[in-house]
Amino acid sequence: MRIRSPKDFWSGLVFIAIAVAFMALAARYRLGTAEKMGPGFFPIMIGVVQAGLGAILLGRSFVLDGPPLERMRLPPLAITVVAVVLFGIALSWLGLAAAIAALVIVGAYADRSSRLVESIALAAALIFFSVAMFVWVLGLPLQVWPDWWT
Amino acid sequence: MELLSNLGLGLSVALGWQNLIYCFIGCFLGTLVGVLPGIGPVATVAMLLPFTFGLGPTPALIMLAGIYYGAQYGGSTTAILVNIPGESSSVVTTLDGHQMARQGRAGPALGIAAIGSFAAGCIATVVIALFAPPLAELALKFSPAEYFSLMVFGLVAAIVLARGSLIKALAMVCLGLLLGMIGTDVNSGAIRFAFGQPELADGLGFVAIAMAFFGMADVVMNLEQPEQSGVYTSHIGSVLPTLDDLKTSFWSIVRGTALGSILGILPGGGALLASFAAYMFEKKVARHPRRFGEGDIRGVAAPESANNAGAQTSFIPMLTLGIPSNPTMALMIGAMMIQGIAPGPQVMTDRPELFWGLIASMWLGNLMLLVLNLPLVGLWVRLLKVPYRLLFPSIFVFCCIGVYTVDTKIFDVYELAALTAVGYLLIKLDCEPAPLILGFVLGPLMEENLRRAMMIAQGDASVFFSRPISAGFLIAAVILLAAIAAPTLRAKREEVLQE
Repeated sequence: MRIRSPKDFWSGLVFIAIAVAFMALAARYRLGTAEKMGPGFFPIMIGVVQAGLGAILLGRSFVLDGPPLERMRLPPLAITVVAVVLFGIALSWLGLAAAIAALVIVGAYADRSSRLVESIALAAALIFFSVAMFVWVLGLPLQVWPDWWT
Repeated sequence: MELLSNLGLGLSVALGWQNLIYCFIGCFLGTLVGVLPGIGPVATVAMLLPFTFGLGPTPALIMLAGIYYGAQYGGSTTAILVNIPGESSSVVTTLDGHQMARQGRAGPALGIAAIGSFAAGCIATVVIALFAPPLAELALKFSPAEYFSLMVFGLVAAIVLARGSLIKALAMVCLGLLLGMIGTDVNSGAIRFAFGQPELADGLGFVAIAMAFFGMADVVMNLEQPEQSGVYTSHIGSVLPTLDDLKTSFWSIVRGTALGSILGILPGGGALLASFAAYMFEKKVARHPRRFGEGDIRGVAAPESANNAGAQTSFIPMLTLGIPSNPTMALMIGAMMIQGIAPGPQVMTDRPELFWGLIASMWLGNLMLLVLNLPLVGLWVRLLKVPYRLLFPSIFVFCCIGVYTVDTKIFDVYELAALTAVGYLLIKLDCEPAPLILGFVLGPLMEENLRRAMMIAQGDASVFFSRPISAGFLIAAVILLAAIAAPTLRAKREEVLQE
């Protein structure tokens, strides 16, 4: 047995794993009857279908040839996720201005051609624009500066 | 004459100063994201959605609609001048449009694209006004069984839209349905799949999903690849096509509009499918098909008319049945639900000002787009020179602020981060996100209608086949599945046999 279509193989596994996880959780909810369905009925129904489709993908990956997995370059994804999380942390402790600065300056490194000076300038411009647009014009409830600052 | 009075009502709504302004903002932003490659209408609608909550439902929908059809105009500009499709629906426009530009005829190519789009937009508006009311009337008679079957059909049909594997697309629909079940179950009040997190009791935010899959994950995919650099055509010249150009492309525009209007109405249709089909069709009926690909103006006129017509008529199933035919429509349905409007056939009777106002605004929007695109084309071209490394952090900022302001919950920002990683992995495995978002939006409705239908039928599942309309939808879904599966099966089998 040789995996001939790695993308089918892995996506099949992912679909089966997620379906099984949902079904395992749904099994704890009341199933009900076909006439009076409980909260567990529909999730298990869909879970079975999804697991079945995942199994087809998995089986197919040993029979049909498919394209190989592309090489993953992790840095862009990792930096993006970290930047968004930093935005969340900064927003809850330091306000919008710091959050945008963190997001832009860290996030810019997701692209190798970024330059620090440029991203600082971009962050400043985006802070100004966002505060003007979302806080002044649209009046959204966003705290711009930390409490101790003002 | 009811039609005229309805359109009159619509115009009076759409001409209100507030709606006019939001229509303009929508068209303007639509053109902007249409011109810029690397950001599409789905991500833009998702990013702007939270900022429309403060508006009434009518201006909100008018603006979001403007983004979608405006993007169809803008996409052609990039396709013609830079040979990079600004939108996926303008891929075929690059074939002849850019050739025309290289022959020094960029102006007429842009002109005919805008004129064709305008004509198509006007006709499609009338098509919506004519076809939506009878369809809504029919849908009002649907029972839960019919609705459930309709949604099954809608989801299956939407898979046509997904590139690649049918099985993966179906599995993505299921995944969307499952993700849609996270949160409180409306029937029993039970909280499902929330891991005891109170933040998850309201379910995953669909704004977060749409932004993560169509905005953030897309950016990450773009960053992995070296930046595309196109051949810029600086000389545009007069954008007015000659009389001869107009004569050659007249019937192409008519055919493109007709084809686009029909394909837009079908679930799974929309701008993308329409533009491809129109180009193929035009090549088939042309007397000298060999000139296609070498700068034939008909190869610009037909797909550009079709994608605009398709973008607009895809509102018909959304407005009359509450069924999204593509991800943008799924977002529109979400926007309506957040505004407290249950999408479905009752929208037209309960909120005529919303329905007809939206339709009338499309016509006005097309007029604005003509002005935005023809004289201002030089401005849009300059925008293309903004490097991606300045653009993508801005996308990050809008996504993060947008997702936070939906409910002012920090948790949603972390949700966005996690979903970005999930979306990226799925796209890497060739699983298109479009079916997932459709399943996610339809999931709760589907479950509710299934439960209700089964309760009315006292647990007898044959109800879905004994009611003729419901049976018709299910049979259509099966036929469609077989039709899509067959050629791929055959192709795959041939591949295997060749070894």
